[in-house]
Order: sequence, then structure tokens, then C-alpha cells
Amino acid sequence: MKLRKLARVIRSKNAGPFLLTLDVLFPTIEAFERVKDSGVINVGTISKLYGVPPESIKIIPYPPGLAFKITMVRPIVSGDIVDTDVYGAQQHTPLLDLNVPLHRST
Amino acid sequence: MQELRCYAASGQLGYGIPKDSFNRGIKKKPHFIGADMGSIDVGPFHLGSGTMAPGKASAKRDLELLLRASRKSEIPLIIGSAGTAGGKPHLLDTVEMVREISSEHGFHFRLAVIHAEIEKNLIKSALTKGRIRPCGPVPDLTAHEVDRSVRIVAQMGTEPLISALGAGAGVVVAGRACDTSIFAAIPQMRGYDRGLFMHMAKIIECASICAEPGGRDPIMGYLYQDSFVLESQHPLRKCTAVSVAAHSLYEQADPYGFSEPGGILDLRNAQFEEIDEWRTKVWGAQWIPADKYTVKLEGACWVGVRCIVIGGVTDPIMIAQIDKIAEQVPKLVRELLSEEIPPETYHLTFRIYGFNGVTGPLMPRGTFVPQEVFIMVDVVAKDAETAKTVCGVAKQNLLHFGYPGRLATGGNLAFPFTPPEILVGDTYRFNVYHLMEVDDPLALFPIELHDI
Repeated sequence: MKLRKLARVIRSKNAGPFLLTLDVLFPTIEAFERVKDSGVINVGTISKLYGVPPESIKIIPYPPGLAFKITMVRPIVSGDIVDTDVYGAQQHTPLLDLNVPLHRST
Repeated sequence: MQELRCYAASGQLGYGIPKDSFNRGIKKKPHFIGADMGSIDVGPFHLGSGTMAPGKASAKRDLELLLRASRKSEIPLIIGSAGTAGGKPHLLDTVEMVREISSEHGFHFRLAVIHAEIEKNLIKSALTKGRIRPCGPVPDLTAHEVDRSVRIVAQMGTEPLISALGAGAGVVVAGRACDTSIFAAIPQMRGYDRGLFMHMAKIIECASICAEPGGRDPIMGYLYQDSFVLESQHPLRKCTAVSVAAHSLYEQADPYGFSEPGGILDLRNAQFEEIDEWRTKVWGAQWIPADKYTVKLEGACWVGVRCIVIGGVTDPIMIAQIDKIAEQVPKLVRELLSEEIPPETYHLTFRIYGFNGVTGPLMPRGTFVPQEVFIMVDVVAKDAETAKTVCGVAKQNLLHFGYPGRLATGGNLAFPFTPPEILVGDTYRFNVYHLMEVDDPLALFPIELHDI
């Protein structure tokens, strides 16, 4: 199932001008646990989807908000000459169609 | 300890505070009103240029709403990060508006103005003493970068605000300030638990964004000895346990910990409990004092003057090879101008919307071929004349570029209006984003008091 069918919020935003942060929030504990158990939100996948090196990515599950946080170093600093998204608000799209398997892939 | 009602009127002062919601909160007799007017999210332009992001009419309208309520109820009003970036010109423009409104309405009060623009010599001296370090993935600061900056501000902690309020200020207009300082200063003066009020301040500085559905309406934070309660002043916005907890994610790198001047707010033990349909009670955050007091510096330098050309393409033969065209035309332009305007003196970027104008070159693309694409030719050069010249040459060569299989020899672009070249003006870049150790949290932020 696609991540967009399970989440209630999938967003991106700057965390300061040098970091981009992605939040995936779920409506229920079940949906959060399902995605958590699938292991689909991992550094390797995010690195491939965003074309950024794995060492610049940090993933933090946040159970109190039924959410995952993914923070990465922006390849281009906010507002720099060749930046395409000053607020970083439209960088969430690659996550929408992320396929969530029923069980953890081995 | 008594209930302290902390009223956060706006997280972005100047874009219109919803009046009905605001007045609903005022009826609940807050002990103070706070509003955040600034942000670094808007990019480096306002910091560099010394201008305010919102228009004067809407900024003045919001300020008037707050000043009137504050003076009528005789409760302190605290404005943080005045005029968007909180530098000297931003602060002075905001103070000017406060003076205008006060003279129009006959308000009299003690006004505190707190400066946050930092002298470059002071920063360079701290640099030589090894007291400045990068804030996140940023290169080390150099004296050269300090000199290049048009303007450098520091985010003040609570201390300058407390000092201003202690001197009897009824209205405080502060330059660049931590968002939390605006809402933490008075709770700190009254001796509440620092972990609690810092956590509350962190949430309410964004007004009702922590509610479900989130919005810009004012929010009330009710602070107690061992907890605080959040209540949006819009009747449809509910502060639920999950929505409030989830707010710790917003625009933050890590939802469990926030660095502030003088310490870290640790949210690992934070608890959230709904007390009814609209309100949530929060407790458990801890304040961990830091060994050294640091302030965050923000600086921007000028990088050039920008000129753009915009136009659309519908031809499917052209769209199918748009990526190659976007490579070849700039090459052509650089060759054509190489003697008069050397290519290393300007930046020429083709932004192709409908293709990869937003995602950029890094993210993998799908195979979908759009019906239209929008092209923005973006030039940043040392002056307006050069930027316009490069833009013009790029436009003309794109308009008549002979790509393989071209049938449409009339021209490659649809311009929505003339002239298609638009001079955007001065362009800036963040070049300082560092932490500076200070001995005295007040020293960098001089306070002026004026009786109005």
C-alpha cells in the first residue's frame, strides 16, 4: 500500500536554512506501527529517493505524535542562487508513493 | 502558583490576525500578549536588504489591534523579531509604526526598543578567541565572511526582554529574538518551571498551528506550577494530545530536543493529555542548562542583481527534448557573450517548471510528458545592466533555438506579457549561521526606553 493512503500528513519544510525536514504523521497507532514494522522508512530508501548521501540523513520515529521525522542536509542552502524551493515546502512528493509492504522486508 | 495566561496573538505578525479569535482571547484576561514578527524561513533577502516582508498596511493593522488591546487592558505587549529579520532598519520601521499608531490613538506608555544587530568588530573579536562555531552543517566562520555580510543579527534570549519589562516597559519591540523568548520572559520573571514554560513557548509561538486543523488564530497558554494547558481561540481548532505532540516536529530537526540560549529543552519525558474536546494539558519537559551561554548569529551577503525572463512552451517536440535544450542554450549564450561578459561573472540558470523546476537535478524523474512547461531564465550578475543583457541574449537564443525535428519556426516561447524580462533586483545569500558564546546575555542587545 502506498504511504499516502496510510498517512494523514506528509510534508517537507526547512529546519533552518541548511536542513530539510520531512514529517510523516499517521491518523492511528495501527497505521504508525504498520509503517514502523515494515521498516520502509530507512536511510537507504530516502537516500535513493532524494539523491542525497546516506550520512546526511537522520530518521527519528516519534511515537507521541504518531510520526516519523526525516532530516537531511539541504544540497543547496535555502535562498541560494540555484535554490528551487526557499521554504523547502514542496520536497515531500517522493514519499507519497513509497510502497509500504505488509511485513518487514528481509 | 497562580494561573498565568500567556496570549500568543500571532506567529507571523503583519499578515492579518483574525479579529474575532483575537477578541475572544482578550476577554479571558491574559496577563500579557506576545507576537512573533520574524523568521529566517523567508530566505536571506529581507535580512540583507533591510526590508520588511509584509506590506505596511497589514503590518500596521496587526500592530494596532495588539496595541489597542494591550493599552486598554494595561497588560504588556511583546513583539519579537521586529520587521521580519530583526536588524536595525527592521526595528526602526516597526518602532515608527508603533509611534504612528500611538499618536493616532493617544496611547501613552513606556516603550522598550531592543537592538539585535551586532557590530562586525565584536564578531571578529569573538572569532579570534575561538568563541564562534557553526550551527549545523555550515562552514567555519571567517573574518572575510563577516566583512562580506551586509548585516548580522543575533537571536536574543529571555534576558533582554526581562530587563526591559523590569524597567517598566508596557510595550517591548525587540529585534531578532528567539521565538520562545517572547513567551518565556514573563513566566521566567514570575518563577515558573523553566522546562514547562519553554515547552509552552515553543508551541504557542506558532499561534494555532498546533491545533487540528491548524491555523493562524491566536492561542492561549495557561501556565501552572506543574503543567500548562493549550487552547486555540478559534472555536473549530482543537488542541488534541496528538496534534500538540506532533507540533514538536514542525520546522525542527529533532522533536525530542531544542537548543536555546543557555540550555537545551529536553522533551523525551513530555506528556500530553486531553482535558476536553478543545484543550490539552502538557507536562514533563526538562530544561538542561548549558555550560556556556550561546546566541545564534544570522547574516546575509549580497551576491548580485537578478533579472528573469518567463515564457511557456506547448510544442511536444520541444518538450520531449527540453532537458537538452536547457543545457545547450546557456552554452550558446556563454559563448556569444564570452568577450564582453565573461561567463564566470554571472549565473545563468534555466528553471523548467513541469519538468524539474522544483525537484532540481538530484531527485529521480518520472516519464510523464506534460502538455505545457513553464520556463524561467534566471540571471544573477554584478549589476542590473549586465543581468538584463545576459537575460535578453538568453531569451532571444531560446526563442529561436533550432532543436532537432523543429516544425514551429515562428518561435519557441509564449510570453504572457511584454517586456518578458523582469528585473528582480538585489539578491542575497545566507553566509553566517553560527553560534557565539557570550559572557553576558544582555551585552549584545542594548535597550532604549522611551516614554510615549
